[in-house]
Amino acid sequence: MRIGLILTSAILICGAFFTLMGAAYGLGGYLEDLGRGWNITGLGHLANIAIVMLVTVMVFSTLLTIADRKWGSFIQDRVGPNRARLPYLENSPLGGIPHILTDVFKMLTKEAFRPKNANKLLFALAPMLAFGPVFALFAVVPSGPTLKVFDYPVEMVSTNLDFGILYLFAIASLAVYGTSLAGWASNNKFALLGGVRASSQMISYEVALGLSLVGMMIAFSTVKLAGPDGISEMQMQYLWSTKVWGIDLGLPAWGIFIQPLGFLLFFAAAFAETKRPPFDAPEGESEIVGYFLEYSGMQFGMFMIAEYIEVVVLGGALVAIFFGGWALPFGNEALMGMAFMKAHPVLLGAIFGMVFWLKVLLIVYLQLVIRWTMPRFRYDQIQKLGWQILLPTGLVNLFVSGALILWDPSLRALALFGFVVIGIFGFLTLTPSRQVRREAEAAADHGGHGHAALPAHHDDHAALPANTH
Amino acid sequence: MSSLMHHEPEKKRELVEADVRERTYVPEILKGIALTTRHFLRNLFGERDTNPDVVERKGITSITTVNYPEEKVDYPPGYRGLHRLVPREDGKPRCVACYMCATICPAQCIYIEAGEYGGEDDQAESRVIEKYPKQFVIDELRCVVCGLCVDACPKDAIRMDTYTHTPSGYDRQGFVYDIPRLLQGPAVSHPSDPWYKRGSSAPPDHVHKEAHTRIAAGGGLAKRPPLVEVMKFPKP
Repeated sequence: MRIGLILTSAILICGAFFTLMGAAYGLGGYLEDLGRGWNITGLGHLANIAIVMLVTVMVFSTLLTIADRKWGSFIQDRVGPNRARLPYLENSPLGGIPHILTDVFKMLTKEAFRPKNANKLLFALAPMLAFGPVFALFAVVPSGPTLKVFDYPVEMVSTNLDFGILYLFAIASLAVYGTSLAGWASNNKFALLGGVRASSQMISYEVALGLSLVGMMIAFSTVKLAGPDGISEMQMQYLWSTKVWGIDLGLPAWGIFIQPLGFLLFFAAAFAETKRPPFDAPEGESEIVGYFLEYSGMQFGMFMIAEYIEVVVLGGALVAIFFGGWALPFGNEALMGMAFMKAHPVLLGAIFGMVFWLKVLLIVYLQLVIRWTMPRFRYDQIQKLGWQILLPTGLVNLFVSGALILWDPSLRALALFGFVVIGIFGFLTLTPSRQVRREAEAAADHGGHGHAALPAHHDDHAALPANTH
Repeated sequence: MSSLMHHEPEKKRELVEADVRERTYVPEILKGIALTTRHFLRNLFGERDTNPDVVERKGITSITTVNYPEEKVDYPPGYRGLHRLVPREDGKPRCVACYMCATICPAQCIYIEAGEYGGEDDQAESRVIEKYPKQFVIDELRCVVCGLCVDACPKDAIRMDTYTHTPSGYDRQGFVYDIPRLLQGPAVSHPSDPWYKRGSSAPPDHVHKEAHTRIAAGGGLAKRPPLVEVMKFPKP
């Protein structure tokens, strides 16, 4: 019964993504068609803004507010939020989803309190500045292929900039203005501390963030994100491939394979920019409450929803840059070549869009699970990680990748290097650390004497380090 | 294992320098993610099991929460719950107003006013039970739930076997329990009960004037019960 419920939910989620993306393509084609009548091209992008950004991203992040709490409760062996109920469904907690309604109602009806000496303009501006850039980030992330709907090409990206990744960097850094302004304008020492922490954290991670993607930029020699010549779609090319029964199988040139170090660096740095645990020093709830200390009501709600939108957008950017965007691992050519799919481009777009959003869901899960796994970094640890680990690693990665791409432009050498890196991390993960080894050694050594069952007995060996035996 | 099982001096656990797994964070984070994901999947796919017998819990889940207002845990046997005045077979309280419970109560939360059955009637048979509580009041807010009153009672007339706790209320007066609220639950009879020691089981010839119990007085007394029959109050 439980399995059935989970399967139903999974199908529901897939179906929602499928429907939304199909609707986006359909509306895009219709608007494009409408625009041609008025001699305007590119009206199809409006469909992306309306359906992908305003509906999918917003609903996704709204649901994430409850998913964060619910998944966290499962991780911590709790039941999680289940008190809010819908009328006529009093016996079913519905996975805690009605809590969204109560949260929204609470935030909208609470007083928007402003401290007496706070800067009026900046205080009101800060939540918008935190929310706006984060939301605008998704504009360059492609969530589906460019397809011909109603004879007009529809791009599944709000704006296909030639400098997509640079736009990503620029706008991502703008979000910190909201945070530091909130800290400054609140006229509160703790809020100010949070704002200062946020800006210093941003500075220490910005460099690593930029460096981590340079490897991908030189591998595909572009900073474009969307379109056939963008990083997202160029990952569809195969490093090694073969054809079985007309279906192309092979290893695609996904960023995770050719730039695993770049992925780790970008993930860590971008994670630090979202200001979510374990990088939540600006918030630091248990020590300084954070930059939004003085905010209440929907102004606080905007900070909060901005955080979850950032999670979704970061997921989208990661998928577009490192996980092949909307493409399947293999079989894309076969799927796109099917006559039925050629006749029904909306269906094809819906399938690829669903693939994209499922990948995003996976990355989002990874982010939330890390948030529930790791304790908060101490402030000096954050700085040390940014300047002493991420930055030098980024530089090494950049030089090694550059050399390998020069040596072998087919990216195969780069992929082999990537596999070596993945292998090293895999080996390190599967082998016990020094501490665990020593403890096991000491336990085995101790148990060998048959003393373990005698609590009162104490022998001299116990006091010595294990390796002296 | 051994470090947890037996009492070792604290210096046994020396700090080992962090190795490359910890300093690069990634392998340790991956291990952490594996752990949390294991919990997540177990609790996602498993049915919640609230069995208080831990060893008898089945399934893969580790969630054991009882959703309180909808689900309640049965109190264990012997739980000292809300007091009750034990009725006799005819519905009157077994209490003989001896003040033992009121005397031993460390919180002094029991108030008793004794009355006499048929005071003007000098017939010996009807005076087997001399006293009864005109008023028997327990202030449940003062009660410390020590159970001494139950132990002190010579007539097994007050018990705490209701297996409920004192329900919450909005005013203090609501926590003052008098006879109508206290007299509840199944009747209890003992072969040694004095009202069975009389020669005949016919009702005493006097008529109770006061309606001092919730359950109407009158009606014949029960027959002498079998040798030992202690009624067990059913769990809610």
